[in-house]
Amino acid sequence: MLEIRNLHARVEDKEILRGIDLTVRPGEVHAVMGPNGSGKSTLASILAGKGGYEITEGSATFQGKDLLELEPDERAGEGIFLAFQYPVEIPGVSNTYFLRAAVNAVRKYRGEPELSMTEFNRRLQEKASQMELEREMLSRSVNEGFSGGEKKRNEIFQMSVLEPKLAILDETDSGLDIDALKVVANGVNALRSPDRAFLVVTHYQRLLNYIVPDFVHVLMDGRIVRSGNKELALELEARGYGFIEESLAAAR
Amino acid sequence: MLDLPVRPQSFGELYDSVVGVLNATSPEALAPLRETAIRQFRGFGLPTIKDEEFRYLDFRPIARTEWQAAYGSTLSRAQVEPLPLGDLDAPNLTFVNGEFAPELSRLDALPAGIRFGSLAEAIDEDPEAVLTLLGHLATLSGRLGSTNDERFTHLNTAFLADGAYVRVERGVELEVPLHVRFIQRADHGPLAAHPRLLLHLEPGATAKLVESYVGMAGSYLVNPVAEIELEECARLEHVRLQADSPGAFHIGAAYVRQARQSTYTSTVANFGADMHRHDLNVAVDGEYAETWLNGANVANGAQVMDNHTRLDHAQPNCVSFENYKTVLNDEARGVFNGKIFVYQDAQKTDAKQTNQALLLSPRAQMDTKPQLEIFADDVKCTHGATIGRLRDDARFYLMSRGIPRPEADALLVYAFTAEALERVSLPTVRAVLENALFDKLRKT
Repeated sequence: MLEIRNLHARVEDKEILRGIDLTVRPGEVHAVMGPNGSGKSTLASILAGKGGYEITEGSATFQGKDLLELEPDERAGEGIFLAFQYPVEIPGVSNTYFLRAAVNAVRKYRGEPELSMTEFNRRLQEKASQMELEREMLSRSVNEGFSGGEKKRNEIFQMSVLEPKLAILDETDSGLDIDALKVVANGVNALRSPDRAFLVVTHYQRLLNYIVPDFVHVLMDGRIVRSGNKELALELEARGYGFIEESLAAAR
Repeated sequence: MLDLPVRPQSFGELYDSVVGVLNATSPEALAPLRETAIRQFRGFGLPTIKDEEFRYLDFRPIARTEWQAAYGSTLSRAQVEPLPLGDLDAPNLTFVNGEFAPELSRLDALPAGIRFGSLAEAIDEDPEAVLTLLGHLATLSGRLGSTNDERFTHLNTAFLADGAYVRVERGVELEVPLHVRFIQRADHGPLAAHPRLLLHLEPGATAKLVESYVGMAGSYLVNPVAEIELEECARLEHVRLQADSPGAFHIGAAYVRQARQSTYTSTVANFGADMHRHDLNVAVDGEYAETWLNGANVANGAQVMDNHTRLDHAQPNCVSFENYKTVLNDEARGVFNGKIFVYQDAQKTDAKQTNQALLLSPRAQMDTKPQLEIFADDVKCTHGATIGRLRDDARFYLMSRGIPRPEADALLVYAFTAEALERVSLPTVRAVLENALFDKLRKT
């Protein structure tokens, strides 16, 4: 589904990704962990098409298409979704209007007919109750005046409405208390299916107690330095990122 | 229609050529008003860039044009209905090129307790009620500051022969809006029209006024003046749409006087004309009054959108909220000047002014000048001005959800501007303004 090969990226003069290789197949949940500044969020942003990065080497394909050639909206049309670390406030645009525009834009991209108002509203209500989202949040401006937890829940809600093929969660757990974390995790788990994949970017292992990954990758200094199963996350939690640095140094 | 042998070269000459007709066809009481006004206008003439209050406007195209006095034009209801607000379900007074058009107005089934009709007729029937206000509201004399410049109000009064007159009696609360519309159609050469509106809410009266300017053809100058008197506890919601034709010059002014505990809520939406200038002057002359001034402005091409607002807080314990938004594309130019005077007696004034501009092109330009002059010591006054471009992070957020860039940008610009329409309480009116905004942005 997603094939990343030797991906290098820089911002201005600073090289941030220095050769990432990663393969994600349908149905899999991959966790990407790493210390601050390792390039985790850059990887998530680049996959979603955020500007400001220069790809100097390597490739990323999604279902056989060159991802790096696509605009962000085309990537969404192909089925990629990024849950933002810092969701953006958009005063004056209601959540409902925004989501309807998004759903119909994606359907148009795929050559599907637009959803009728009734169909759309039905889907919206269903997903809103699943995410324990108050009705009132639907009519409010996108993320405006939302608490940190509400913003993150709104991201997962959008994801559940848009039903992507590959969902990238960028530090969705940051700033959440344990109850909010469970709601978010339940929302993600409800979407797990054999044809949908997740890339969960996180600093802490905590989220992975609730969203259990099939693979864990450790990103350091712009490279994946170790991959394993969920046990690796527990080891990181117990020993910190330092032990990997030490073992890397020892290997040199 | 006036048949003029030669085309006059200046407004003074134009006045000389039509004053006889005006004297013969309008109420006698107006003649001295006109005479005083033309004398004052002649003293000023058209502004130049040296005139502080008009420094961003170029009056040379107006000076070069051979204007004719407003001539009549015949329109049918079928032509009028498709215009913005053309089919609003409300009593309406329609003026074509400043001339009252009863055949296009809707004056049947008027609610009880209101007077809604021609100003000239009202002067004939109840001269005192009209003449104590007419021309007396439209002046800044006696107010603070040295920047009073009323030359276009004088020009309007110099040609004053009729207009719209609205009076709502004591305690009458109107649900239905009242629509006063001015349609301009210069299909026989450049014309200058000077529409006039006088609105009077008696104590405790409540009304909603929709004032619209719509152009159908040609190059014209429209120079309207509105005078609004709000007595104690009166409440007015005032919506003003400027949708004049390309090639038009719109120079308008509104003067509002608020008595104690009155509420004035103004929303202006300015989308049309090559040159737009509007002066909104509100004198808050009673305690516990409330004032809302909102504006949505969109300009493209070489349009100029110039808004001047002036709030005189002359009495204590009043609140005012002002929010003007401007979107500029191409070489368009925007001007905002917001004066707030807080008089020495006006303790506990709470005034908040915001103006924001969005530049969609590197050639667009915005000049903004908040001007607060505060002479009381126990007040809360804030102002904020921003001039910016669309936020990259917001655009990326929308695009990452599948919305293509042009739609994402349009949505962001629309949301930015539509916020200024949020005080329009009538859903039908608001929908028309939102559609007009949407149409304008699509072309922008």
